Amino acid sequence: MSAENIQLLARNVSAVPAKPKEYVGHPNTAGYYWRIRRALAKIKPVLALLKDKSLDWALPVGILLLWEISTQLHWVKPVFLPGPREVAESFYDLLVNQDLLLDFRASAIEVVLGFSLGAVLGLLTGIGAGLSHSVERFLGTTLNAFRQVPPLAWLPLLVLWIGISLFAKSVMIGKAVFFPVFLNTLQGIRGVSKKYIEVASIFEYNQALLLRRVILPAALPSIFVGLRYGAGLAWATVIVAEMLGSRVGLGFLLTRAQEMLLTAQLFVVIVIIGAVGYLVDVALRKIENNLLRWKKGFAG
Amino acid sequence: MSNSHQIGLEINRLTKTFNTDRLAVTALENVDLKIRKGQFASIVGTSGCGKTTLLRIVAGLENDFDGSIELDGKDIKGPSKDKGVIFQEHRLLPWLTIEENVGFGLVSRPAAERRELVERYLALVGLKKFAKAYPAQISGGMAQRAAIARALVNKPKILLLDEPFGALDAITRMHMHSELEKIWLDEKTTMVMVTHDVEEAVYLSDVVILMSHRPGRIKKIIPVPLARPRNRSHPDFLAIKRELLEEFHLNNKDIFTYEI
Repeated sequence: MSAENIQLLARNVSAVPAKPKEYVGHPNTAGYYWRIRRALAKIKPVLALLKDKSLDWALPVGILLLWEISTQLHWVKPVFLPGPREVAESFYDLLVNQDLLLDFRASAIEVVLGFSLGAVLGLLTGIGAGLSHSVERFLGTTLNAFRQVPPLAWLPLLVLWIGISLFAKSVMIGKAVFFPVFLNTLQGIRGVSKKYIEVASIFEYNQALLLRRVILPAALPSIFVGLRYGAGLAWATVIVAEMLGSRVGLGFLLTRAQEMLLTAQLFVVIVIIGAVGYLVDVALRKIENNLLRWKKGFAG
Repeated sequence: MSNSHQIGLEINRLTKTFNTDRLAVTALENVDLKIRKGQFASIVGTSGCGKTTLLRIVAGLENDFDGSIELDGKDIKGPSKDKGVIFQEHRLLPWLTIEENVGFGLVSRPAAERRELVERYLALVGLKKFAKAYPAQISGGMAQRAAIARALVNKPKILLLDEPFGALDAITRMHMHSELEKIWLDEKTTMVMVTHDVEEAVYLSDVVILMSHRPGRIKKIIPVPLARPRNRSHPDFLAIKRELLEEFHLNNKDIFTYEI
């Protein structure tokens, strides 16, 4: 220990004898300290939210950063990979100077119509086949053969029969949605435990009551798997349908951007497709969690 | 006690055979049984002796049997509201709350009557506070009590209990015994319980029916003329328990011999 240190120690001992624990400090430093504390307290909820969601958003934000850096540093030619800013400008241009909203609306209407058509038919057929082996056997062969032909393969025929119309595209989407909903409904109903059916029979439930209070609630988790999968398929199918034969819609925008080499527009449409698909799934999951709140599954 | 000597449940020459692909197993053979109205009867036997099958046939959940079963002089045809069943698992519907489960058998009644009955039976089994909970949120003992309320709410002529407390721990089980006894004294329902717990049978029953193993036959009927509530360590209680256990061991002599 140096002489200087010993001197310091000695000074400390003599200088702060009364209140050794209370830190007074420089008047200015104290002010800054409290100002920083207050500022931190104000943004605390924001920080907590960031921390809460950081794992969900770390990868997308990282990809966005890498994208920006790669264009800033000219790693890739802009015609192959335009920067995020260019894409944002293109989005604004499409929205204000062109008919992005009209195209979006066209796609959305087709999806909603097609999804409703496929989901309702899938649900009804699934319930029918689930409740009766005769119905299942009667429809089984036909449906299984139909299922093997992908939605897109029907498009030329549909166009020949009814033209490139809203209806043709909706039918195609409906076909895509039908099978996951049908199969999951059927499987969900067949998986209902016999134990619950026995309880209902003891209380003399008729078919309608049994379906409403026992079979459908029990099959609901499985039905929702079908609906969510079907919603994803519907959104994917509408894009492809529009790419192949349409003068309107997000799929049409993709084809047009490709032909005119407007790479930024391609990105705009791709981001919209991804974001909307994501939001639809989030919404469906919210509904599902609400309907299935009785279910206590593995928390993860 | 005008109806205490009336026959509630009458089983005559009941035989049940399960046919599988390769072999036919006779689960029950020539079972004759009379249970008086308002009586608490237990059927005791080793696992696989057909006691659960017997109960399921009375409940109307099994068909394809020979012989006749009458409840209050009427042939049993399939399951019905006047034959309540408590299963070993509570079988509450997981998507309904406790009060909705208790009211499960009351769908045809007007809403006000339903609400009143559900409330009364929830209070009877001490679950008023948990009316809005889901089955996954309550304990096994509470769920089984809810199942008892669900079965009683329709005022069944007979309550059939299939090892109702088998899945509960020893302490909870003893609580449930006294609660069930209290309910039985209040409601005066005829109860038939299947169990392999001899003490449970002696504690709760007016009469214990001992079954033999494969094919299931009625081996012996032992009355339990003890005052209630019963003391599990009273010499008379222990004597009946010992008598039953001895029968059990006599029965099981050949089951536990192995050929190597």
